[in-house]
Amino acid sequence: MTLLTLRKIDTFYGPVQVHFGLDIEVRQGQIVCLLGGNASGKSTTMKIILGLLRPRAGTVRFDGHDLTAMTTPKIIRAGIGSVPEARRLFGAMTVRENLLMGAFARSDRVEIAHDLDRMLELFPRVRQRLASRAGTLSGGEQQMVAMARALMGRPKLICMDEPTMGLSPLFVDRVLELIQTVNRDGVTIFMVEQNASLALAIAHYAYVLQTGRIILHGEAASLAHDPRIRDAYLGGKT
Amino acid sequence: MSSWLDYTINGLIIGNIYALVAVGLALIFGVSHLINFAHGSVYAVGAYIGWACFTYLHAPLAVTAPTVMIACAGLGVLIERVGLRPLAGSARIAPLLATIGISLVLDQLLQIIFTPDPRALTSPLPNWRIQIGGGTIGALDLLIAATGIVSAGVLYFFLRFTKLGWAVRATAQDRDAARQMGVDTDRVNMAVFAIASALGGLSGLLVGMYFNHIDPAMSFAATLKGVVAQVVGGMGNVPGAIFGSLLLGLTESYGVAIFGSSYRNLFSFALLLLILVLRPNGLFASARSTPPEPLTGSFVMPSRPVRVPRIAVIAAIAVAAIVPLAGAAPYVLQVLTNAWLFAMLAISLTLVAGTLGQISLGHASLLLIGAYASALLALDLHWPVWASVPAAGLVTALLGTALIAPAFRLRSHYLSIATLGIGEMVGLVILNWESLTRGPMGVTNIPPLQVGGVELDNPRAAYWVTLGVLVLLALLQTRLLRSHLGRTFRAIRDDDVAARAHGISLGRYKAIAFAVGGFSAGISGGIAAHLYSYINNETFTSTVSISALTMVILGGLGNVAGAVFGAVALTALPEMFRGTAEYRMLIYGLALLLLVRFRPQGVFGTT
Repeated sequence: MTLLTLRKIDTFYGPVQVHFGLDIEVRQGQIVCLLGGNASGKSTTMKIILGLLRPRAGTVRFDGHDLTAMTTPKIIRAGIGSVPEARRLFGAMTVRENLLMGAFARSDRVEIAHDLDRMLELFPRVRQRLASRAGTLSGGEQQMVAMARALMGRPKLICMDEPTMGLSPLFVDRVLELIQTVNRDGVTIFMVEQNASLALAIAHYAYVLQTGRIILHGEAASLAHDPRIRDAYLGGKT
Repeated sequence: MSSWLDYTINGLIIGNIYALVAVGLALIFGVSHLINFAHGSVYAVGAYIGWACFTYLHAPLAVTAPTVMIACAGLGVLIERVGLRPLAGSARIAPLLATIGISLVLDQLLQIIFTPDPRALTSPLPNWRIQIGGGTIGALDLLIAATGIVSAGVLYFFLRFTKLGWAVRATAQDRDAARQMGVDTDRVNMAVFAIASALGGLSGLLVGMYFNHIDPAMSFAATLKGVVAQVVGGMGNVPGAIFGSLLLGLTESYGVAIFGSSYRNLFSFALLLLILVLRPNGLFASARSTPPEPLTGSFVMPSRPVRVPRIAVIAAIAVAAIVPLAGAAPYVLQVLTNAWLFAMLAISLTLVAGTLGQISLGHASLLLIGAYASALLALDLHWPVWASVPAAGLVTALLGTALIAPAFRLRSHYLSIATLGIGEMVGLVILNWESLTRGPMGVTNIPPLQVGGVELDNPRAAYWVTLGVLVLLALLQTRLLRSHLGRTFRAIRDDDVAARAHGISLGRYKAIAFAVGGFSAGISGGIAAHLYSYINNETFTSTVSISALTMVILGGLGNVAGAVFGAVALTALPEMFRGTAEYRMLIYGLALLLLVRFRPQGVFGTT
C-alpha cells in the first residue's frame, strides 16, 4: 500500500525552478531514500512534504489526506514525524522537554509517559542526559534525541533530513541501525541522504534526484551497483 | 538615611511596574523577534479603560483590573492580526514599523476620545501607610509589589509546566522546528500577544493609580522604558526583563534623588546606550557582538524606481518658485515653507534609512541640534544668520555623527533602538544643560532670516530661501548618490559582510552618510529656528522622527525625489482639510501601516 505520494510537483524559489514534475511514492512499512548531490532539491522535497513550502503545481497525498493545502502543524497531526536537517532540537529546553514536545499533538498523558519509557529503552544513552539542556549534547546524542522526539508523536511516517550528516563514523552506524529498528516496529521511513552507499545499505527503495528531476529509481539492492548513481552525483549526463 | 530607604522602595515599585511592561515585550520578542512599539499604547489604553470603569461604572478594583486585562488581551490579539501576521514573509523591520503605525493610531484615538489633557486616576485603595525603618509603604505599593511577584510566578509556572508554555518556549527557540512538532505557531503568537497585553494594560492601570495621573503621552514613555529594560536584560529574556526593570527603576530613583526629577529619563537612556554599546546582548549574555540572525535584512525592497525626467524636475521647481507670485495666501506659503523644511529632513533620513539601510528612529534630534546651534550662535555669539545656519549644518553633521558613532557596530533593530535612545537623550540634555540652552524656558527672540543685512521676515522671502536651500541640498544628494559613495552605501545596505570583505570600512562610510544627512537636517533645523523665533526642547519630538520616516517610506526609501514628494504630501495635504488637523497623526499612523503592508517600496520606488 502506498502511504505517501508526490505527484507532478513543480516548486519555485522566486523565479528559480527547483522541482520539475517530481513523482515519488513511499510504500507503507518501507525505508525509502531520496539521494542526490548538492542543490538537487532534496531538502526542498522535505519542505514540500512538511508544508513548510508550497509547490506551485502538483499534489502531496498521505494516508488519505491531501497535504497540499494543509499547514505544517496539521500535517504533523495527520501522522508524520520529522527529524529535521541538523536536528534542530530546542537547545535551551531539557532533553525530557524536547521528547515531550514530540508528543505535543497528543493528549493521552498515560500513553505519552509509557512511550517516554519506551524511548529510553530504545535509546539508553538518552536516559543519562534526560535533565540536561539539549544544546549541551554531542551531535550523535542530539540525533538520537531528534529521532526519539519524532517517534514520541507515534507517527506512521518519519521524514528524516540527512540523519547521518556531521556524525562520527561510529554514530553513523548506530543511527542507521536505529533507523532499521524503528522501521521493523512498523514505522515507514522517508529519508533524504547525500551518502548514497550508506543509505542504500538500509533502504528498500530509492529515488535519485538531479537538479530537480528524478533521474533514477528502483529497489535499493539493484541500485547499489548502478554506475548512473555516481554520474548523478558528479553532475554527469544521463 | 530614611529617605534612601524611601528611594529604594520607590525604585523597586517603579521597577515592578516597568517589569509588567518589559516582560510582555520580552515574550513577544521571544516568539516573533518583534519589538512591539504598540505595547505602550496598550498600556495607555489599559489606564484609560481603568479610568472609565472607576468613573462611569464606579466599579471596584477587583472588577476593574480583570476588565482591563481582558480588554487589553483582545487589543493585543488584534495587534498581532493586523501588525504581525500579514507581514510574515517581509523584512524583519517591517512588523516593527507596522507596530509604530498601530501605536500612532491608538494614541491618537485616545487623544480624540479623551482629549490630550491629563486626568486623575484616583486609587480606590485605603490610604494607610506602614512605617518601615525610616520609610513608608502604602496599600498600593504592596498591591504593585504583589502583582509583580504573582505575575512572575504565574508566568514561570506557565512557561515551565503547561503545554502552551512549552509551545511558547519551543517557538521562541526554533519556530520551524516547533511547527514540525505540531505546534500551531500562529496561535502561540496570538496567546503571547494576549498575555503580554493583559500584563501591559494592568501595568498602565497601576501606574495611573500610583501617580494619580494619566495622559495619552504615557504610551510612548512606557514603550521606551520597556525596551530599555529588555535591552538591559537581553532581548527576549523574560527573567532578564524583570531584572532589567528593577535595575532601571532603582537607577532612576537614585538618579532623581541625587540630581532632580528632570534627569529621570536621562538615566534610563544613558543605561540603554551603555548596555547597547558594551553588552548588546544584555547583561546576562557573554558575547559582545549581537547575533547576526535573525534581525538582519533592511526594509528596502528591491524595486524599479520611477525615473523622474529632468524636464519634470525643472518644471516642478519652476512651479514651486512662482507659487508666491501667483497670489498664494500667506498661510499657504507658510504651510509649503514648512513642507520644504520637512523635505530637507526627509532627504536626510532617506539617505541614512534608505540608501544606507539604517532605520533611524531619532532623526528629529538632528533638527533640535541644528535649531539650537543656529539660534545660540546668532544670539550669544552675535553671528549673522547667513553664517549661523550653515554653521548649524556643520555642527549637526559633526555632533550627530559623533553621537551615533558608538552604535555603528549595531545592526537593524539594535541600531534603531540606539537612534531612538540617542534622540531622546538630545532633548533631555538640552532640557537640563541650562547654562548653554536656557533649559525648559527655551530660546526666545531668535532673529529672523537675513542675508546681507536684509531681513527676510515676510512669508514670500522665507518661502524662496527655504525652497532654494532645499533644491540645492537635493541636487547635491542626487549627485552624491551617482558617485562611488552612493554605490558603496548601497553595498553596505545590501550585504554588510560582503561589503567588508571587499575592503570597505563600514564605520567610515556610515560616518560619511550620517554626516551628509546631519548637514541637511541641521540646516533644516537652523532655518526653522529663525522662522519660529522661539524653540525649546520639545519643538521637535519623536513624533517628528516618525512622521519623517513615514514620509520617506511613502516616497520610496533612498529616493530623493520621493522624499520631497512624501514631505509635501504628508505636510501639505493634511493642512488642506483643516477640520482634520487633530487627525493628522492618525493619518500618519494609517499611512505607515498601509504602506508597510501593501506598498513597502513607496510611490516612487526604492533606489
